[in-house]
Amino acid sequence: MNAIVIARDLVKRYGTLTAVDGISFEIQKGECFGFLGPNGAGKTTTIKMIHCVSPVTSGTLIVNGLPAHIDNRAIKMLTGVIPQEITLDVDLTVRENLAVFANFFDISKRDAKKRIAELLKFVELEEKRDRKIDELSTGMKRRLLVARALLNHPKLIVADEPTTGLDPQAKHLIWQRLRQLKTEGATLILTTQYMEEAQQLCDRIVIMHRGKILKQGVPTQLVAEEIGREVVEIRIGQDEDEKIIGHLSAMSCGHERVGDTLYFYCRDGHDLMKKLVELNLPSYLSRPATLEDVFLKLTGRGLIE
Amino acid sequence: MNLSYRVAYVFFRNLVSYKRFVVPTFLVSLIEPLFYLITFGIGMGAYMGYFGGKPYLYFLVPGVVVSSVMLSSTFECLYGTFVKIVHEKLYDSLIATPVSAEDAVAGDIAWASFRGLVSGSLMIIVAVFMGIFPVSMLSLLLLLVLMIFVGILFASLAMIITSFAPSFDFFNYYTELIITPMLFFSGVFFPLDRFPPWMKTLSQFMPLTHAVKISRAVFSGSINSGLAINFLVIFVLEVIAFAIGLKTMKRRLIK
Repeated sequence: MNAIVIARDLVKRYGTLTAVDGISFEIQKGECFGFLGPNGAGKTTTIKMIHCVSPVTSGTLIVNGLPAHIDNRAIKMLTGVIPQEITLDVDLTVRENLAVFANFFDISKRDAKKRIAELLKFVELEEKRDRKIDELSTGMKRRLLVARALLNHPKLIVADEPTTGLDPQAKHLIWQRLRQLKTEGATLILTTQYMEEAQQLCDRIVIMHRGKILKQGVPTQLVAEEIGREVVEIRIGQDEDEKIIGHLSAMSCGHERVGDTLYFYCRDGHDLMKKLVELNLPSYLSRPATLEDVFLKLTGRGLIE
Repeated sequence: MNLSYRVAYVFFRNLVSYKRFVVPTFLVSLIEPLFYLITFGIGMGAYMGYFGGKPYLYFLVPGVVVSSVMLSSTFECLYGTFVKIVHEKLYDSLIATPVSAEDAVAGDIAWASFRGLVSGSLMIIVAVFMGIFPVSMLSLLLLLVLMIFVGILFASLAMIITSFAPSFDFFNYYTELIITPMLFFSGVFFPLDRFPPWMKTLSQFMPLTHAVKISRAVFSGSINSGLAINFLVIFVLEVIAFAIGLKTMKRRLIK
């Protein structure tokens, strides 16, 4: 058995609100597993149960062979958490932040010193080691959160929207580091709203909505199965829909109207584009299908066929 | 309840962060007792004559020592803990490590009690400079032990308040309606003998009354077996408040 996390009919309720509604999944050792979903989908709640800071309402959740439970220190010992919010200790310097956390994991002073030096190098914060937290940029703070999560050499790394609010440089640095950790054998669990992030990092994903898993699979396969290869967007008023759809009905592409845009999802968009040129429409474009299309299709409006 | 030796780690975290605030907080801890001792002790004391054959300051100092422990441990677990939990979300990341919610909360209570001990000790140092000494080294030692108990008690009570406080403003109810009256009804500044009976009864319900009584007896070396009751009140209340504080705060931290 190679699964590090096994969830069966996992439920989480806060009072009358059901945040996670009977989901089942397995996360294999060494993979990067992503939870995607809009705000309030239940992703953060799910991973909080995995890393044992939120109790399970019902169902089973096994992490590294142990039942997940808020008092399960053994699971916490082997987990590193990169939180969504910047929860650094603002009263302390960069190095003190790491030293205090190393202490929490029972790491000896001497080992901690060595590990902290390694990690500051890993996240490129060596120069800032004696700075206070307020003096760091958001990107630096997030990198420090990554370093903090790695102090205990975690087997399981849980990252909750780790690149929120970062500029592209900072974002790519974090992605590189996370990929590097995976190649070193760690299992990575990620939640994100950025489809690009999921495509960059995840081997497998689940798309969550209103506490349920709508789909799970390999990102590229999900795109191919759910959308096809290409998406054609036509910016045009709704009153023209019937006419255009009539013209394009032979192309066997799915279509959807969202706001001011009519979308066509195709295996091959060539013929459709030719037809559009013939129709001489004012504004349209063809682009490769992405995970974002899958996401919007599943969590937004249903496909009209 | 899931307590472990990691309480010490949380205490240590507070100690590391505290070193930046040492000077300002020491100054505050020094100015406050000076204020009490000068205004009440010297100003009012001049009109009070002798209390049981000794100057008024001998009456005042032991009371002010425990009330300063009460105040600083209370404030630490109100404002200090609230900032760490709500504003900085520090405890959210802390409980994701092997440190449990109970460890974190108990660590803060231990820290607040330490702050109380520091304040009370500073008060004694100031008193010593004014020529007011505890009767013996043993009495000084017992005072320090008492301060730890009093600190844990008021830190735990404050922790209960913090566990359901929606905002800073809420603390005003507690400090203005409970803590401040306690300061005046517990026999810190004057004896309770001349209170009408109902006020005397009321004051028996205030934990500070019992702390002041023990402190005064220890300070002057007139320890008697009757104090066991006072100590028992403090101890029992403390155990209960500690257990409730841990439980309610855990509820706030873990959802």
